[in-house]
Amino acid sequence: MKPYKIIVTALAFFVLTSCGEKTDVVESGVYQGIVHEVEADKSEIYVKTDDGKLLELYFTETTTLTKDGQTVSFNELAEGKKVEVEVKKEGKRLDPVSVKILE
Amino acid sequence: MFDIGFVRTEVWHALSVHFPVALLFFSTLTMFTSFVIKSDSKQSWRSAASGLLYAGTIAAWISIYTGNLADGIVSRKICDPTILKDHEIAAQTMTYLFTGAVVLNLILMFEALKSRLRLILSFAILLLMMVGSSYLVYTGHMGASLVYQQGAGVYKHSVDCDEYK
Repeated sequence: MKPYKIIVTALAFFVLTSCGEKTDVVESGVYQGIVHEVEADKSEIYVKTDDGKLLELYFTETTTLTKDGQTVSFNELAEGKKVEVEVKKEGKRLDPVSVKILE
Repeated sequence: MFDIGFVRTEVWHALSVHFPVALLFFSTLTMFTSFVIKSDSKQSWRSAASGLLYAGTIAAWISIYTGNLADGIVSRKICDPTILKDHEIAAQTMTYLFTGAVVLNLILMFEALKSRLRLILSFAILLLMMVGSSYLVYTGHMGASLVYQQGAGVYKHSVDCDEYK
């Protein structure tokens, strides 16, 4: 393979793979899934739903976080935990109403 | 008078983001000129392009940092955060492309490189910068859309402008 072809292939590969992950918008409702990523400094979580959608959720002042019916702190959330989230769709923004840690 | 209250966390991004836009765009133009110009000033254009590239890439990383700070605030207020996500992804891709150009440009400083490899690296740098500039335009367009269409980071004054009396 000629050098310029290697460069163009590497560039195309880089552009296609270096990008971050796109998130999805869903209707208001209750969804179950796995915590994909936690950004504690922004009180933000990414949830991968059972049907493969990736939801980006920024906690608001009214978002409740519970485990076994008890309110818990944000620190309880960790990657890989199963959760049930109730979201309210405002425009294309998803506001988490409640997040329940299932396991 | 300068109002310290103006410098909210999300405003740091607006203050920092225009530096990489200008520096990286002109670094690409200058680098392109260094390729097509035939005169003795070729090396001067090349040096200018390198300087702009280094400064612009540092500014781009600073903007990524300030953008990340702003993200946590404006995402909770705007109506379509998917635009913000596209802006973020394009900005990261653009910054990585220009960082790649910086790395190759630094490799070019090794005198021991063969002329053929030097030529290939030079074209790779220009290619990275041109693709990076495309992402720069797209990122800027998304950023402008966030500010002017959704009011991201924009202070919303009261209806009667009472706080300015």
